Amino acid sequence: MKTGFSVFLAAFVALGASWYGFVYAPLKQLGGAKQTFILQSSDTWPVQRTGEATLGLQVYRQYGCAACHTEQVRQTGATTEIALTSLGTYKPEDFKGYIKSLVAVVPELLTSSNTLVGNIENWNGQLPVTLYAGEDSDVVAALADKLKTVGAKTDAHIVASGADIDINARSWGTRQSVAADYLYDQPVQLGSLRAGPDLSNIGVRAPDINWQLMHLYAPGSVVPNSTMPAFRTLFEVRKIVVGHPSPDALVLKKEFAPADGMEVVPTAEARELAAYLLSLKANVPLYEAPFTPVTAAK
Amino acid sequence: MSEENKSCSNGSNAEPTATRSSAPMWIIVVTLVLLFVGGHYLDTHGGWFSSKVYAPYNSAEQLDSFQPKSGAAAVAAQGKKVYESVCGICHGMDGAGKPGQAPPLAGSEWVLAKGINRLAHIPLEGVNGSIKVEGKDWSLNMAAMGAALSDSDLAAVLTYLRTSWGNKAGEVTADDIKKVRDEIGGHPQPVSGDQLMKMPE
Repeated sequence: MKTGFSVFLAAFVALGASWYGFVYAPLKQLGGAKQTFILQSSDTWPVQRTGEATLGLQVYRQYGCAACHTEQVRQTGATTEIALTSLGTYKPEDFKGYIKSLVAVVPELLTSSNTLVGNIENWNGQLPVTLYAGEDSDVVAALADKLKTVGAKTDAHIVASGADIDINARSWGTRQSVAADYLYDQPVQLGSLRAGPDLSNIGVRAPDINWQLMHLYAPGSVVPNSTMPAFRTLFEVRKIVVGHPSPDALVLKKEFAPADGMEVVPTAEARELAAYLLSLKANVPLYEAPFTPVTAAK
Repeated sequence: MSEENKSCSNGSNAEPTATRSSAPMWIIVVTLVLLFVGGHYLDTHGGWFSSKVYAPYNSAEQLDSFQPKSGAAAVAAQGKKVYESVCGICHGMDGAGKPGQAPPLAGSEWVLAKGINRLAHIPLEGVNGSIKVEGKDWSLNMAAMGAALSDSDLAAVLTYLRTSWGNKAGEVTADDIKKVRDEIGGHPQPVSGDQLMKMPE
């Protein structure tokens, strides 16, 4: 065994490198994660869950929801856009001329001059019109600055894009998921298979607890052609006490309703799971995932 | 990697031995090229392992360039930053003021006034003497905290005062501040509430 030490050393380096890469470095990078601030706000993120929703995470885990649902929205790009919302004292034709003259003299606009001139040439005079959409934020800042001085009004925003995000595609979230979103998840339910939709923003997309409960009891009753199994064990089907029907009983369509004189009542687990689902929100801009919320874009 | 097993030729019972030979040059070159390409890719896409940089952003600079810069939101963000470093220590981060130290800004009639002339005089000249805020008398000695701020910073922070904590009043522009500053000229004098009331709104 002349080479014994070398073998040991090689094995040590190989295992040590993977330990460093998979354990130590990520811990250094994100191990000390704290609450962060919502972009342009003094509110912190993420929001601590209620007790019921915290228990719901364990129900989510217990029923293996993560086997078919992910909690991670992916983003493939971001664009910064500027739209003209008011012309001020300009007429559309003069404004076209003004933009063309700007393009020639403002250094930030030079590299994108073809796009800018093209956009304004094709403009039919209606407002709002997108003057620029692309990756160069200097163009947007320069345009906003110049147009403000001549009295025209503009609206600049940042838009996250990707198949998970685009309204015409999956529309599962407004921005990508980042580590801060999972700060209070123990354990994190990332998931890897998308037999069902991504749930990281389900609390915004389906904020009605009754919808969530009906969906758990009979997915087909609210989502036609759903392939999700019905989680009937989360509900109690019982005889209605004469004169005292449960106020919590689900109101189901006829083909999903139980027999006459029976009612479907969610158990505590069902309520916890629904509370957890409603707590899944990823609709605020963060420093690491900036975008302009639609409500603020006015 | 560089070792090559050779079966022994002198007798079938002898131990096999290993000889050394150098690795082919092309493997070394290919390895170095791969290392260089990998290093370059990591450099341009890795964001230097920052916990804040996620794909599709490649670096902290690129992420910075995507932060909101213009528009009302950006002014509010700038104003908030200035407020928290200059004003918030006495007036409170929530604008509620501190008893015996600084009057509230949330709901204050000085902040919500139609014109901004009197409001702008306060940070530009300071306050000395009594001033009535929300029906309460305050005896104050506030330095000219805003005199050293730029016009746009002061405008942003006053806009922040007028639009935060439930306050709903118009924006303040850098030009407004410049006008007041020019009026004051090089002789700022701390003002009292009565003196402020004599100024145009």
